[in-house]
Amino acid sequence: MAIGPTIPFTAIPWDDALFVLLAGTLLASALAVVLMRDIIRCGLAMMVCFGALAGIYVMAGAPLVAAAQVLVYIGAISVLILFAIMLTQTKSAPARLAFQTQARPAAVAAVVLLVVVLLAIGSTVWGGGTERGDTETANVARALFGPFVLPFEVVGVLLLAAVIGGVFLAKRDRSTTDRPE
Amino acid sequence: MIRIFLGTALASVFVVGLGLIGLAAGGSRSLNAYLTLSAILFAIGMFGFLARRNAISMLMAIELMLNAVNLSIIAFSSFATSEAFRNDGSVIALLVIAVAAAEATVGLSIVMAIYRNKKTPLVDEYDAMSQ
Repeated sequence: MAIGPTIPFTAIPWDDALFVLLAGTLLASALAVVLMRDIIRCGLAMMVCFGALAGIYVMAGAPLVAAAQVLVYIGAISVLILFAIMLTQTKSAPARLAFQTQARPAAVAAVVLLVVVLLAIGSTVWGGGTERGDTETANVARALFGPFVLPFEVVGVLLLAAVIGGVFLAKRDRSTTDRPE
Repeated sequence: MIRIFLGTALASVFVVGLGLIGLAAGGSRSLNAYLTLSAILFAIGMFGFLARRNAISMLMAIELMLNAVNLSIIAFSSFATSEAFRNDGSVIALLVIAVAAAEATVGLSIVMAIYRNKKTPLVDEYDAMSQ
């Protein structure tokens, strides 16, 4: 069964509809991440946000990046953040105020930044093509292990250093834990 | 609770309206739609970083900003004319994802280390340097 290029009975193309759906999910869940009071729900909304972003990567023609997004962000970073949330929640003093006193200036600053960037985007004529192109995974691999092999190795060393540093920082200090509190 | 639901409903209506505007501006076939999306995501992340009290919320906002930048990298490379540029964009995005993973690891363990000393995740109670 073939599906036509537009949604039946309307003139809206499928990819535009999908884009709006994914973009709406992305922005709504991103707003939920920064606005909701319960931080564990913020973490769950962040997973939704990353999933929608992976969908947008697929639409932009980068399926390998979308797969890496799902694996690294939804699979690893979200779990890490959820564990950190569970380890640092204080039952005795729940945070009544989720926001700092500077929340209002921060909102103004964010809106100003958004307007400036949108004006810059709207007034710039980007060179390059007007047609969206797909990337082939085999060619990405050739680029990654060809001209980009040095950055690839450096990132490997960086990840190793980050893992060792994370273990070192999160490790309990023997002398303080043995002391009764 | 009702306020949260109302807020979320209002936000989604607002966002769907924005999406329709973006559709009118060219839909998913224009570079500007992706860049607009990336700019909005970056602004949301910046607000979260500046406004939240919880250190882990601030780290989540940083992740949002990193994702926004990654989205604009992918968008630029996907509209490039030559295919080599498209592959380079994917490679750069993958490297950024790896660096973001390293950043999250170290950032969260720093938060854990501070939490163990100060017994609070709220950043406005970290005042050891101002005393």
